[in-house]
Amino acid sequence: MKEIRLANKIIKTLIKDRIQYPGRLFADTSSLVARCGVLLLLYSYVFKLNNGVVNGATFDVVAWSMFFYFSFSVLGLSSISRRIMNDVTSGHVEVFLSKPIVYLSYRAWWAIGTGIYPFLVVTPLGALALALTVGIPQTMTTTLFISTFVAAFIGAIALTLLVYSILGLFAFWIEDASPVFWVVDKAVMILGGSYLPIALFPDFMYKVALYSPFGASVFVTHTAYESWASVWYKLIGIQLFWILVLGTVTYLMFSKAVKKVSVNGG
Amino acid sequence: MSQNSIVVTSLSKTFSFPVKSATAGWVKNLFSPEMREIIAVGGVSFSVKAGERIAFIGPNGAGKSTTIKMLTGILFPTSGTVSVLGLDPTKDRKKLAYRIGTVFGQRSQLFPNLPLTDSLEFFGVMYGMSDTDIKARVLELVGLFDLASFIDQPVRKLSLGQRMRAEVAAALIHRPEIIFLDEPTIGLDVVAKKILRDLLITINKEEKVTIFLTSHDVGDIESLCDRTIVINHGMVINDLPTKELARAFAYEKHIDLIPKTSFKKFPTLPAGSSYFLKNKDKITVTVDINKLSVQDSLKKLLELFEVEDVDVYNTELETTIRHIYERDSPRQ
Repeated sequence: MKEIRLANKIIKTLIKDRIQYPGRLFADTSSLVARCGVLLLLYSYVFKLNNGVVNGATFDVVAWSMFFYFSFSVLGLSSISRRIMNDVTSGHVEVFLSKPIVYLSYRAWWAIGTGIYPFLVVTPLGALALALTVGIPQTMTTTLFISTFVAAFIGAIALTLLVYSILGLFAFWIEDASPVFWVVDKAVMILGGSYLPIALFPDFMYKVALYSPFGASVFVTHTAYESWASVWYKLIGIQLFWILVLGTVTYLMFSKAVKKVSVNGG
Repeated sequence: MSQNSIVVTSLSKTFSFPVKSATAGWVKNLFSPEMREIIAVGGVSFSVKAGERIAFIGPNGAGKSTTIKMLTGILFPTSGTVSVLGLDPTKDRKKLAYRIGTVFGQRSQLFPNLPLTDSLEFFGVMYGMSDTDIKARVLELVGLFDLASFIDQPVRKLSLGQRMRAEVAAALIHRPEIIFLDEPTIGLDVVAKKILRDLLITINKEEKVTIFLTSHDVGDIESLCDRTIVINHGMVINDLPTKELARAFAYEKHIDLIPKTSFKKFPTLPAGSSYFLKNKDKITVTVDINKLSVQDSLKKLLELFEVEDVDVYNTELETTIRHIYERDSPRQ
């Protein structure tokens, strides 16, 4: 109960903080429009050249899948990694360790709180624009889609936070974990289908996207496809598996990390 | 003032870090680097009674901050035991956090873009206080710390003095039994320092909060703390009431000589004494009482100068503390 109240307070406080800077919201929106919009324009041309179907997928499905990726990225959950690294390298971690909080959980709620406001503003607007331009695919109108999408979305949040927390925790050992962050971040982008829609992945890459935690952390991109109806339980199962594994790894790493804390002036 | 709030026994902390060897290859440097150890705290023992105001002082790198961080559960000791309010900070960090407050002078815990009220309410929730309690406590702190004039301003717009008052107020939101302050007056002007010191004395007297403070500012020690623990090279080298500190370690005395008319000559002084101030209206002589007694120095000075008035006094606490640091032999 106390944890939920604190999470609620973190989110409310950070929304209040973000509202003070409408310019940042504009930047987030522009970034989404630029990145997602350009790719969708390119792919619409590719699909047109191929009579509207590539590898069994239609453009509207691919467009929504890519939109899910970019919309999810607006949440900015990967920022947890940089925040942990900064806390460690600047020594600010000592402030949090002297408070009655679970540091990683606090940082997770902080990451959600930082991204939720742009997400809540940008996503409905983007979804509306997409619905008006490419329509809503039939696969997204089923009851199964609505219920399983929520599960995949929550799983994606949990798994993303775990993947990036682990990266951040590396800072306790190697101080600058930016190169590792870069590699993982790009792996998530590629396997999540941000550049190339997952429907167009070669078989080997599709398997990597399916079974690696990086691909699993953005399974929301699979939900728009027709295949989702037959594989959703398997994919959510994979997500759960990785959540358990990475949750354990994060717990063990953090237990070791707090014993390694060394802060300037102490 | 009878129960111990803090008991520290043979506490030590060693930091080890990898050192790149110029002769070893990169593979060895990466996977099996040479490790170097630094003993930051080497067997410190002391206890603090509830309600005391403690200055924990020492030169840079003496081990003060490391000790404070072990007391608050931030750092894990290499050996020794710590008990704060009957809790072991390594095992009961969260439980302890509910009962202590911390202020790290160089790190802000407030939300820079939001008004101070938001930070205070945020910490209230963090410490599990009810909304009614938070409101009442914020009102109390606003009155006590005179925050009313800037409570609605974003924290980043506050002056450093205002911000430090706000930081201390935030650390007190949950009515802690002990407050640990790591250089709270760093960078503050004399007025802001005095205000903050007075406030700390007030909360110590009114709310019975034990104060454990590290500082390089002699004013903090003199005006705020009734006991001083001096640490150097990770060891406690002195632990005594602050007012006795100067007396116990003042091996230098100042002697002011006021002339009948004016001083024209400044002759060589006897061994063990030296000019601190040479003026035609006033001479101040510093005497090392280990080499020359006050009685002998007075006798010799009166032979050298024709004076109307003489004043003998201890050197300032700052000089005394410097002497303590200098006297302490370097670590082996």
